Amino acid sequence: MDKRDNLSVVIHKKEDLRVEQSALPSEPGSYEVQLASNTVGICGSDVHFWKDGCIDKWVIESPLVTGHESSATVIKVGSHVKNLKVGDRVSVEPGVGCMACQVCKDGFYNLCPDVLFFGVPPTGGSLRRYYNHSSAFCHKLPDNMSHGEGALMEPLAVAVYACKRAGITEGSGQRVMVTGAGPVGLLSALAAKAMGAQDVCILDINESRLKFAQQMGINKTILIDTKLDTESLANEVIAILGDSPDITLECSGAESSLNLAIYVNKDGGNVIMVGINPRKVSVSLSSAACREVNLLGIKRYRHSFPLAIYLVSSGKIDVKPLITHKYRIEEALEAFHTASSPTSGAIKVQIECFEQS
Amino acid sequence: MVKTNDDNLSLVIHKKGDLRLEQTPIPTNLGPNDVLCKTHSCGICGTDIHYWVHGFMSSFVVKEPLILGHEVSALVDQVGSNVTHLKPGDRVAIEPALPCRMCHHCKEGMYNHCPVSNTQVKGSPQFDGMLTRYFEHPADFCFKLPDNVSWEEGAMVEPLAVAVHAVRRVNLTLGQTVLVCGAGTMGMMCLAAAKAHGASRVVMTDINEFRLKVAKELGADQTIHIDLKSFNVETYVAKVKEALGGQGANVTFECTGNEGSTKVAIYATNNGGKVALVGLGPLEVSAPLVNASLREVDIIGVCRFRNCYPMAIYLLEKGLVNLKPLVTHKYPLERSLDAFNKMLEPNNNAIKVLIQCNKDFN
Repeated sequence: MDKRDNLSVVIHKKEDLRVEQSALPSEPGSYEVQLASNTVGICGSDVHFWKDGCIDKWVIESPLVTGHESSATVIKVGSHVKNLKVGDRVSVEPGVGCMACQVCKDGFYNLCPDVLFFGVPPTGGSLRRYYNHSSAFCHKLPDNMSHGEGALMEPLAVAVYACKRAGITEGSGQRVMVTGAGPVGLLSALAAKAMGAQDVCILDINESRLKFAQQMGINKTILIDTKLDTESLANEVIAILGDSPDITLECSGAESSLNLAIYVNKDGGNVIMVGINPRKVSVSLSSAACREVNLLGIKRYRHSFPLAIYLVSSGKIDVKPLITHKYRIEEALEAFHTASSPTSGAIKVQIECFEQS
Repeated sequence: MVKTNDDNLSLVIHKKGDLRLEQTPIPTNLGPNDVLCKTHSCGICGTDIHYWVHGFMSSFVVKEPLILGHEVSALVDQVGSNVTHLKPGDRVAIEPALPCRMCHHCKEGMYNHCPVSNTQVKGSPQFDGMLTRYFEHPADFCFKLPDNVSWEEGAMVEPLAVAVHAVRRVNLTLGQTVLVCGAGTMGMMCLAAAKAHGASRVVMTDINEFRLKVAKELGADQTIHIDLKSFNVETYVAKVKEALGGQGANVTFECTGNEGSTKVAIYATNNGGKVALVGLGPLEVSAPLVNASLREVDIIGVCRFRNCYPMAIYLLEKGLVNLKPLVTHKYPLERSLDAFNKMLEPNNNAIKVLIQCNKDFN
């Protein structure tokens, strides 16, 4: 009899998050591995599901384990698994396509109409001690990376994918503007530099976030004065970068930032909409259109975990300073409060899920 | 609907030179994502002949008995519980090589590179094929045929898909000139696919006059007959260039695997052009690589296909390719050995030989 406990962080409904037992996983399928969850980071979307019980049309109707920014250790392997063995430490990619439809077969598994994602109904997440996962979506961690860093590969994959979509290439002399200095904006700025941008600047309305950005090596920061008009703000960007940006990574979701991007970005350049604004926004679409400023969205990532891991393992990006708080799984509710508090100074809050001996 | 004690006559290769018609079990326990198919037509391919005559084809070696056949059109008889895009009575073309879906090749959309797929090619050792009355297959590798695409055309979707993949691999674009070396089935498919993708002029070479005549019917702009007795690479390179207005081809589909033909293919391709290696020949050949390299003539391999069936079926549905003239012979399953022997006959005037695997379609 399997005597392990499977303590889990479960969202029952809006504002009802409980730390309780959930079912242990069955034997892993032939292409699956069984994982002992190690570290899981909290994302704004997890907080959103907790506070509102839903995001858009995804509604939590029955108790669901949350958590999708994960690292783990392999404890069992399915019969056909070749890429992993028991004991391997992995970063876990939480979005799995059906791998049988035309979209998946063409390689765009993040766009699969039947994609399953941790913590989004109906798929349970990784904030529990044990679970099974497709081995193709578990990425081996090099020895020089910690589990905490492994759990940051998911948000870094978002940043890496945004930079790929933007076409950031070493040696192309690209200037990149990042709007929004939350964790995703910070990671996007770091990824842009590591992937070869000539110069990067980051904007935010919050001074302490910009200070943090500077500590992480992003020297060119602009504190947005909301009383300023778009043209004046654009001039600040041009002054700090030496020219208009070739590429914008919009990481705030703010309507004004999207309009700034359209206004100041070079003709023919890419503006990547990383940040999400749930409301309809008013943007200067014809201006973007006739200057061929391309507005490209992203849906999470695809094929980006290996590059994210390489960037950290090779020392091109240091993500450790982003981890500001660590909690045990038993303290998960407190962790969520910290993550959602505007005064806690939290950047990335992580939860450790393994049993303490 | 088929019952498990129904007749399932199959063409089985036991070893080199040993092909037998025998009963094999009708599949039971249909998986939730699978369909049970009643085979209509199955084309014979050079690979099947190679297994029969030599007992192997490149690294695929016949070690135990296996059912042959991988170019198939079929009727869906039953569907598994999860299958939504097909229903009994649908007519389908079958994609025969099944990848694992889980390795990084599959994830990146390059499932023809999946190592597991090489062990799961129906009709290649050791994975039973479809020269049989009934077989099971994953539903997502069965593609519905439009009403105006015949069973015979359905059985030619597989080789046409190879040509579609080759055309994509070399990025053939509207207005380019093309050389096709070899007017066997694959040469004909490349001719048809190239024309459908906008090639302005297609020149074909072959040693067989009958085949070149059929190629003309299919739209080849000019054909060049190769006289084996007096074969000389320079002579035929010059003839190809002359046929293309004094220049080499932008794109070449080498569909013979023959060393001499491969040399012609490279020399007769324009600087900056591409040569797709569609035909399979000896494992090692002598080729003018320095010449190719310094003129940036890229040599591009082709391994089956990936995500090409929808396009192949579209080309047939819209009449953008005409493959009907390629079916020269049809045999019932019971006369499979005659079909295989016909393929080996000299001057057989055969291009695509089909085997019809069921007597009736209710």
